[in-house]
Amino acid sequence: MLESELHDLSDDADYAASQQQGSASVMLRSDSAKQSSPHEQDDAEVLFSKDNVAIHPTQFASERISGRLKLIKQGSSLFMTWVPYKGHSSEANLSEKDRSLYTIRAVPFTDIRSIRRHTPALGWQYIIVVLSSGLAYPPLYFYSGGVKEFLATIKQNILLVRSAEDANVFLVNDFQNTLQRTLSSLELPRAVSVACGPSNLSVDEPNSPSFNDNQERTNSGANNLSASVPQFHGRPKHKVNDPRDISIQVLEKFSLVTRFARETTSQLFGENQNNGFSGYERRTRIQPNLDQPKKSTDIAEKVPAENPVIPDPKPLDKLSLVWGKPRQPPLDSPEWTAFLDSEGRVTDSEALRKRIFYGGLEHNLRKEVWGLILGYYAYDSTYAEREFLMSVKKSEYETIKNQWQSISKAQAKRFTKFRERKGLIEKDVVRTDRSLAFYEGDDNPNITVMRDILLTYSFYNFDLGYCQGMSDLLAPILFVMGDESEAFWCFVALLERLGPNFNRDQNGMHSQLFALSKLVELLDCPLHNYFQQHDCLNYFFCFRWVLIQFKREFEFEKTMRLWEVLWTHYPSEHLHLYVCVAILKQYRNKIMGEGMDFDNLLKFINELSGQIDLDASLRDAEALCICAGENGAACIPPGTPPSMPIDDGSFYNQLEDEIL
Amino acid sequence: MATIGHNNLNAKLVLLGDMGAGKSSLVLRFVKGQFLEFQESTIGAAFFSQTLAVNDATVKFEIWDTAGQERYHSLAPMYYRGAAAAIIVYDITSQDSFTRAKKWVQELQKQGNPNMVMAFAGNKADLEDKRQVTADEARVYAEENGLFFMETSAKTAANVNDIFYEIAKRLPRAQPAQNPAGMVLVDRPAEGSRGAASCCS
Repeated sequence: MLESELHDLSDDADYAASQQQGSASVMLRSDSAKQSSPHEQDDAEVLFSKDNVAIHPTQFASERISGRLKLIKQGSSLFMTWVPYKGHSSEANLSEKDRSLYTIRAVPFTDIRSIRRHTPALGWQYIIVVLSSGLAYPPLYFYSGGVKEFLATIKQNILLVRSAEDANVFLVNDFQNTLQRTLSSLELPRAVSVACGPSNLSVDEPNSPSFNDNQERTNSGANNLSASVPQFHGRPKHKVNDPRDISIQVLEKFSLVTRFARETTSQLFGENQNNGFSGYERRTRIQPNLDQPKKSTDIAEKVPAENPVIPDPKPLDKLSLVWGKPRQPPLDSPEWTAFLDSEGRVTDSEALRKRIFYGGLEHNLRKEVWGLILGYYAYDSTYAEREFLMSVKKSEYETIKNQWQSISKAQAKRFTKFRERKGLIEKDVVRTDRSLAFYEGDDNPNITVMRDILLTYSFYNFDLGYCQGMSDLLAPILFVMGDESEAFWCFVALLERLGPNFNRDQNGMHSQLFALSKLVELLDCPLHNYFQQHDCLNYFFCFRWVLIQFKREFEFEKTMRLWEVLWTHYPSEHLHLYVCVAILKQYRNKIMGEGMDFDNLLKFINELSGQIDLDASLRDAEALCICAGENGAACIPPGTPPSMPIDDGSFYNQLEDEIL
Repeated sequence: MATIGHNNLNAKLVLLGDMGAGKSSLVLRFVKGQFLEFQESTIGAAFFSQTLAVNDATVKFEIWDTAGQERYHSLAPMYYRGAAAAIIVYDITSQDSFTRAKKWVQELQKQGNPNMVMAFAGNKADLEDKRQVTADEARVYAEENGLFFMETSAKTAANVNDIFYEIAKRLPRAQPAQNPAGMVLVDRPAEGSRGAASCCS
């Protein structure tokens, strides 16, 4: 049977190509062959093979990828593979990289938790395969039918149980390997390596039936160990890319079955701190247990012996925890210029937003770029158009400013609302960022400018008026823009998004805090339960974070960095809520361990000011946002601030295109 | 609500008053002994705790410092609900803040805990030359409404500790414990640990 399998695959140009893709995988495979103990040789048998099974990476029909789905039995283990066809006409755009990314190379059913069957009223039947880690492969569409047959074949070979909760969910229950699966669900790096997707599996997964070299099947327990602790291998494993890059790519492209997201994220963010053990300690404790059920496997002893003991577990922990893309240096002038055409239009606003999201801006670029990301200037405006708009807006600003400047003292006496507003603003501007050189000292003219802008805004938007917190939002903008009118209009653009934060009825704040509670429920259920038990579900302890976008939590420079990142609205316009979740997760063990009640929680959160690691929080927030996926978005009621400014065409047009 | 141990009292205290009247400055002076000329505005609320010794008892104040702007008024009940004490703060240089303070008093009389100890604080007493509210006017109002009144200055620290001390004294409390000596022993597990340390060295 192995013969035929070999033959079958050698004929399969796709498979051969995918094998060539990763020389690392070949190397690993032979390594693992050497390391693994001799084991009875098993034949690989194809139990099921279905053509025209496709994935839909995007909504565009032209980007669908068809391939062949197989179930392969080797010894007592069952594997699933899906290999895209090469050179199919509709996939002319499919790069080798993408092919490699999407190919599912022999995933053992011990790594699979469940299979969900979908039968849409219109269109093809498809399945979603969910891994033990909680992550999932993209939906596999059966163009030529065969879902029932596929499931039946699985059922003949391993325990497949229909979920009591959902008749379309089939739980993979391979009791022979219960221990292994339990361990794999415990293992932190395991979750990451699976999170890294199939391309990573192909590199790290010696579990694959060895079709090429007739190698013996390695003991699955031992394989699981070597696959689950890839960081212990001294040799470079990932020749292609930074593994975290891959993970993000894969996560972006693959539909993620997010009802399991919370378990995964608790693995990624929380569990490593449990019981006071670092992830490293936990792993080393678990390893000997892994060995126990095996008879003569020596891989667990060999692997640590061959690789130097890592002295500091901390970098390891970080590696295994961090799977948001690493932060980049801020965008600098040459790179910025490359985003512009000769007349100053931003040619690819999404790429720009993405770039700013990952690194922010060098300070000297902020004056030019903030207006764009805030939606004050259109991305497709030219230098000349922006210049023109600037002058038009300047006179418009002067007109509004003149409205209150022309109020005489006598008039003001009979104009209580004006006096009150002016009073509120004057009380706040003198105590906003006064320790900053730009605003410090007596009779600082910038304080006057800040007052004038806020008072003018309260006439520009008389209904909203002035509210405490606005001066915090204005201070960095005025500092960056320098120019009074420009600062005013950028402030206006920002309040297009954040204005509802200051609504009298607190609706904007309530909806955000409500969404935050839903996100925590999704992404960290134990923490949610804790808040529930301690009557903290109103999340008022996060009020300041949300109201002024963490302005009081970071030093000035960091605040500007965070804001430009949030303003890109990439990957979500509600990323600030994921930042909240990320920070709460960072301190969840302290919060729960010390049994903080609402009072102490608020005190604790307020005192975190100046102590939060911005880059780590952004990475975590990105990962949480991706992990939460559509379920995360569903936690956030429509209309929750910040809403996109309506005239920011590029982003909306794009969305509409995608929907079409 | 004030909760009572043997002779330890935990008391929730809330600060209310117009924005810029000096609520945060009073708390920071009391809790940390600090004063900042340009104390930043309070967003949402802040929480502090500070313990005072009054006679032979201690009072641990759990202090809620709130945002002053009328816009955030709807959040206030969350903070004054269940409070054993309140300090209503106004700025002696601002008649408006005095008016606002009186509104807070009315609200607490209607909505608050009926046994609440209320202090009326005329802050910024150091700014005599800018005074708009006379001490007499405020004292009369306070007496009429069953509050006790003090003029304070967070800047000079005048009367700041005194107002908290006065509140502590007025808090309803249980009978003093009959035999406080028993507690002292409980607080001394030192014998055993000292023994352990010496045997290691």
